[in-house]
Amino acid sequence: MALETLALLLVLGAPLVTTLALFVLPRRLQPVARWLAGGAAALSLAAMFALIPALRRGDVPAIALNWMPAAGIQFDLRIDWLTLPFAITEGAVTLLAIIYAWGSEANDERAPYFYGLLLLFAVGMAGTTLADGMVLFYTFWELMLLASCALILVWGHTSGSGPSRRAVALKYFIFTHLGSLMVLVSLVILYNATGTDRFSALRAGVTLAPGIVTTVITLFILGFCVKMAIFPLHIWLPDAHTVAPMPVTIMLAAAMLSMGAYGILRFPMSIFTMEQMQPFAVPMMILGILSEIYGALMALAERDIKRIIAYSSVSQMGYILYGMGTLTYNGIAGATLHVIYHAIVKALLFMVVGLVVYVTGKRNIDEVGGLARRMPVVTACAAIGILAIIAVPPLCVFDSEWMIFAGGLETPYVTLSVITIFGSLLTVAYALWFGSRIFLGKDPAETTDTTLGPVSDRAPTRAKLPLAMVAPSVLLAALAIIEGVFPAPLFDWVAHELPMLLGGRW
Amino acid sequence: MSPDNSGVVLPFIILVGGAFAIYLIARLVTSRNEWLAVLTAAVFAAALGALLALGRAPGSAAPTWGNTMAGVSGMGSVILQADHGAVFVGSIALAMGLCVAVYSGRYLSLDHRYRTYYPLLLLMVAGLLGMVMTTDLFNLYLFTELMSIAAYVLVAFRRRTDTSIEAGFKYLMMGTVGTLTLLMGITLIYRETGVLTIPQPIVAPGVWARAGLACIWVGLGIKSAIVPLHTWQPDAYGRAPSSVSALLSSMIGPFYVLLKLTLALGFPARDLGLGLMVCAMVNMLLGNGMALMQTHTKRLLAYSSIAQLGYVMFSVGVGLRYELPEAVQAGFFLLAAHAAMKGLAFLSKGVCHFYDHTTLVEQLRGTFRRLPVVAVTFSIAIMGLIGIPPLAGFTGKWFILTEVWRAADGWVYAGSVVFLLNTLLSLGYYLPILAMLFSPLPTPDTPPPVQVSRWMIVPLVALALLVIALGVYPGPLWRWAGNVLTF
Repeated sequence: MALETLALLLVLGAPLVTTLALFVLPRRLQPVARWLAGGAAALSLAAMFALIPALRRGDVPAIALNWMPAAGIQFDLRIDWLTLPFAITEGAVTLLAIIYAWGSEANDERAPYFYGLLLLFAVGMAGTTLADGMVLFYTFWELMLLASCALILVWGHTSGSGPSRRAVALKYFIFTHLGSLMVLVSLVILYNATGTDRFSALRAGVTLAPGIVTTVITLFILGFCVKMAIFPLHIWLPDAHTVAPMPVTIMLAAAMLSMGAYGILRFPMSIFTMEQMQPFAVPMMILGILSEIYGALMALAERDIKRIIAYSSVSQMGYILYGMGTLTYNGIAGATLHVIYHAIVKALLFMVVGLVVYVTGKRNIDEVGGLARRMPVVTACAAIGILAIIAVPPLCVFDSEWMIFAGGLETPYVTLSVITIFGSLLTVAYALWFGSRIFLGKDPAETTDTTLGPVSDRAPTRAKLPLAMVAPSVLLAALAIIEGVFPAPLFDWVAHELPMLLGGRW
Repeated sequence: MSPDNSGVVLPFIILVGGAFAIYLIARLVTSRNEWLAVLTAAVFAAALGALLALGRAPGSAAPTWGNTMAGVSGMGSVILQADHGAVFVGSIALAMGLCVAVYSGRYLSLDHRYRTYYPLLLLMVAGLLGMVMTTDLFNLYLFTELMSIAAYVLVAFRRRTDTSIEAGFKYLMMGTVGTLTLLMGITLIYRETGVLTIPQPIVAPGVWARAGLACIWVGLGIKSAIVPLHTWQPDAYGRAPSSVSALLSSMIGPFYVLLKLTLALGFPARDLGLGLMVCAMVNMLLGNGMALMQTHTKRLLAYSSIAQLGYVMFSVGVGLRYELPEAVQAGFFLLAAHAAMKGLAFLSKGVCHFYDHTTLVEQLRGTFRRLPVVAVTFSIAIMGLIGIPPLAGFTGKWFILTEVWRAADGWVYAGSVVFLLNTLLSLGYYLPILAMLFSPLPTPDTPPPVQVSRWMIVPLVALALLVIALGVYPGPLWRWAGNVLTF
């Protein structure tokens, strides 16, 4: 058991200690900050993988310390099958985002703080998934918010007309904190009703008055929907995603949003039974559909390429909520798979957007075009990402959406399922439009510049791109294909979580 | 009087004796600020030690000390009692006094009036200590005056600035009305019962006692800044030297005495609880609403104190109304945690003012570059006040929420909604401070970092560590905050 304990400590300890080291790093060591950060993220991810054999043996690696005996509050870390997909997604996204940052961010004297805060953000997310005590969970949940907010505040990029970094950070913090408070209220009610703050103990079953059950579940779902940016609680997302520097955006979109999904699976869907959750199925499905369609429509209407992908997150989170709302085996498994696949695809698309901005310096979709000739590798990655998000068959998202739709059709609400399936057409529209406008056609800058002679005569100049930015993109594109063709290992992980949900139906 | 209990009066004697001794030393021996600060800190530490030594005896009756010259119906006697609540409230003020004294070793060095400053600090805390320890209504009035008069002078300490004179004068006017009303209340109660002891030998208060109680509520309500009697506080906290503001915000004696006295007069705890809950909601809403509009950092912090007192009153009110001692305990936990956090915030702000003459929130820009340690301690204080886990403020709020919801009642739910809404509302003014602390200056050339004096760094770091420690390991304070109020 000692090895597992060590690995569990490393998952949080490696990035946390590195963060502290980075904050007090002597100035002459500043160039190694990025390597330290990358190393810590890799170590944390490796530690998560090292825990899988124990899980396969049926163990539940855990650390339990008495934290606040006065209030019966524990410092419990625990990894189980429900945690694992989310933790590994978070760890992998962090590692790739940090590698991407090597290329995209200036390595100036503020870099140690930047990487330190990225790691702190990662600690927040990893801790959120690993915590097994309510206070500990909330602590990490807020740490995640605080670190990301600081990153937006200090390193955000604002365009001239947009809102200031301060305004965006403030809005992000206040709105997300509203969600946190709803979650906190539910946690306190549960704590009062059961006298334990350990939520693995709650799975045994909680007896609460029916009225309180409704309140608790409602507040949990609403609170976590804020984090997931479900319409109409999404309004913090487009600004925060747009203003944040690209590595932070990648972590926000690909990892942090899914913490909301984790929360819904971990709290209402683990603690309560199918009968207690049944009244919330249709509201969750409807919210999911609204979010799916609204996000896609807004993505169609946007001109800022970063905002298009940001709104696409609103849409994709809609699928996840819908899948969980079906309360079926396929729907929930599909939603969890979608969390992982969405992370792959969304990180890929944001990386591509970052590369486009890196090359052109422009974010308005009207001012870019014809980039396929200048950056063919990136275009290929983008094509895979776009086709994946459309859910074209051999690519990964197809698998998860298939399962979500299958789950939807198992429910009595066939109309809702049909709307979801046809709603996904909107994704096709914005994704293809996004790709064709950026990579195909003519570069508006070139066509208007007549001094260079006829456009057709010119040889395309290949843009020079940092390897640190291209390599993660290629890796993710490859993952999108591999996961689509061989979903079995991941599906195997996800399938293990289902017996823990909804009173052990499966 | 048994000689064993003479220790009860010791903290008080140390403080008052120290005040006179330090004044004499300042006149006759040395008027170096550093020496006086060290001496004052030593006096505070000795008094704190003496007071904590009284609190040791567990379970036994509270040690009492009194003189024997009691005349007609106990008039003219001085009786001090070191019950648990008095030790708790007094220790908080003494501990903050210790921090403030060390801090003043540098903070005050530009003011040139140390001779009166340090004795006044000691007298103010002595007054507070007397207030919470006395078991005699007339003594209570005297100690309240002692505390108040010292406080008026300290608020107006920078007498060359008009604004601090204005704030001090406003405080003086309102405070005097408060103490006079308190005196009138005491007179009315004496008319009904004929004795001045606390608790009073009455089961149900009659009409005079009720009128007297109303007067006491007004009098002590002013002192503890309960809305709508709070109007002096933003001026006083905002214009006093930051060290004084920090000490004032940890002096929770009047609020404690108000509760203790109301219960001691036989007023039903249930009704007191309801009254507190209603006042709490007003305090929260007004405090946070006004804080949102402030541009001066210290005024903002003062309004935030009003709101935080609202949180405390809510928890204590619920506890009194529904007989939940743990809710009262949670309220006093937050009160102590708030003293540490707000003290830290004021002291950090004071350093910014000392080196950069900042008064507005806007001017805190670039603090992280210039005063990195102060920016960190200030943000710990602010994050604690927001209630970010695992800092003291969050733990306090967690205790309040868990304990308060043991009572299932409409008032509790309404109050909780207001409480949570206000937590959200308060982000609107706390977050800009955080943002400003870490924002770079608009001009490209940032002034170099300042070497902050050790006199200031030590109390700041100590308080910051305390705020973290109380959040991460709240057990000792939680137990200590129990049984502060018996009802």
